[in-house]
Amino acid sequence: MSKKKLHKVLVYALLILGLLTVVLPLYITFITSFKSTSETITNYLSLPTKWYFGNFKYILFKKGFWRALLNTAVITAVVAAGDVILMPMLGYSVARRMNEDRKWRGFYFYLLIGIFIPFQVKMIPLVQMMSALKMMSPVGLAILCIGSTTCEATFLYTGYLAGIPRDLEEAASIDGSSTFYTYRKIIFPLMQPIIATSVIKDCLWTWNDFTLPLIILNRSPQYWTIVLYQYNFQSEAGVDYGLVFACLCISMIPILVIYLFLQRQIMSGLTSGAVKG
Amino acid sequence: MKKNTQHQKCLKKDYKRTTMLMSIPGAALYTFFFTFPVCLGVYYSFTDWNKIARTRNFVGFENYINALTDKRFLKAFLFNFRYTILFVLGILILATIIALLLNQRVKGSTTFRALYFLPALFSSVTVSMIFNQIFFRVIPAFGNAVGISWLQKSLLSSKDTAIFGILFVALWGALPMQSILILAGLQTIPYELLEAAKIDGATNWKVFRYITIPHLIPTLSVVLVLAVKGGLMVFDQIKILTDGGPNNATRSLSILIYNDAFKNNRFASAMAEAIIVGIVVAAISFVQLQISNKKSVNA
Repeated sequence: MSKKKLHKVLVYALLILGLLTVVLPLYITFITSFKSTSETITNYLSLPTKWYFGNFKYILFKKGFWRALLNTAVITAVVAAGDVILMPMLGYSVARRMNEDRKWRGFYFYLLIGIFIPFQVKMIPLVQMMSALKMMSPVGLAILCIGSTTCEATFLYTGYLAGIPRDLEEAASIDGSSTFYTYRKIIFPLMQPIIATSVIKDCLWTWNDFTLPLIILNRSPQYWTIVLYQYNFQSEAGVDYGLVFACLCISMIPILVIYLFLQRQIMSGLTSGAVKG
Repeated sequence: MKKNTQHQKCLKKDYKRTTMLMSIPGAALYTFFFTFPVCLGVYYSFTDWNKIARTRNFVGFENYINALTDKRFLKAFLFNFRYTILFVLGILILATIIALLLNQRVKGSTTFRALYFLPALFSSVTVSMIFNQIFFRVIPAFGNAVGISWLQKSLLSSKDTAIFGILFVALWGALPMQSILILAGLQTIPYELLEAAKIDGATNWKVFRYITIPHLIPTLSVVLVLAVKGGLMVFDQIKILTDGGPNNATRSLSILIYNDAFKNNRFASAMAEAIIVGIVVAAISFVQLQISNKKSVNA
């Protein structure tokens, strides 16, 4: 019995140690953002002696911040729309036709090549293309991002649809339903869970992405995303650590709020893609 | 009868045309933003294109030969090699331990799980910036207060220890996801099997060694390949924390390629470097897919 108890104590001790490693940096971020500049230099770990809201005020009254937030929201929304509108159509067509037609099977593999190729290989030509097409803007980046989500979306959607029998579609077709009508009324609703997974994954990826915005948008401050805003803010704020941490805090809050409500979905969404992608 | 077959033909035609039309938008975006730039990049890597000379001449494999004999490139490869080994070991060992801990039936384990997952939600830039401040200010201050000399200097400012600072930040961000993956693998082990082994008198270590590990192999191999890929492509953390410094000690392949492309404007050489790295990563990803496929067959 005492051995069992010892085991339990050990488990808790380790769990709490891990928890401290996770939470301590977040705690420091949170409390430092409420400290005045002078206090950030002398006081690291304890709560602020006086809760100071100046850092948040400073950022929230800046135009650049709101523009960055809007840019990020636009890009994320466009990517989500791609996941809901374009990718299921592609996934459905490929999933069904690849079993009947060798050309479509080849097409399926073509769509998956992207999983193998690292980002750096397309980085330089992309910058050149985007600048030649005058697409170095949030909307341009958003369209580019949809292209980047194709591989994984195709993989997830075709895999999911392989588990959905064709009987329903055949029955609908005998009743005289057109292919698109069948897709819209029967297949699309059935795909809801996997679409949700894909949307969660891609939204979080887009919201947090650094490299693509860095190469496409960094030169024009009015196009910055939240992540780029943070990245560039460090040099603007200089030694004002309270400001830097307030800026980081603000970008983390929306994600945390969503996580509070969709914890299970986000966890399974992120991990399901990781296994496959 | 005849009408019926005609109707079927019509449906078949509609089916073929609709699926074709439905796949065009997605496929076009993919082709334009992936296939096209990759092909363009391969072409550039065989030219002498840079920002100053606006002309592009075909130079064959020169860029590749230059890259493979370039000390900077080989040094970056070496850095990534070292980094990847440490990163992979860190992930495999720590993520397994965390998953085992989270799998214990203790009170509050779901809360622990939810909190442990937090780092996976944030941008690697956010995470790196937080640790940047912690490394440069909080830890040295702590070191001064307690009087431990090796803590008084930032890990990132010495060329021997900077890699560990980066490693810590990357692991902090990557472990939650990998632990949850392994946890999912742990939960597929039938409980009766573990109970039976315990009734037969197997020690905890024996249960772990002969039941848990074999059941985890498929998951661990996926985690392994993901970690190898992550290690070979590390960019965000280094860009924020050291930007390749101090004294180029942490210049990874991704940083080298980025600098050659956008700071030194050596487009063609950067392309050749990117393609060499690409071939290595593609080979590893291919292995990953084989493993994932095998896994789904076994499951």
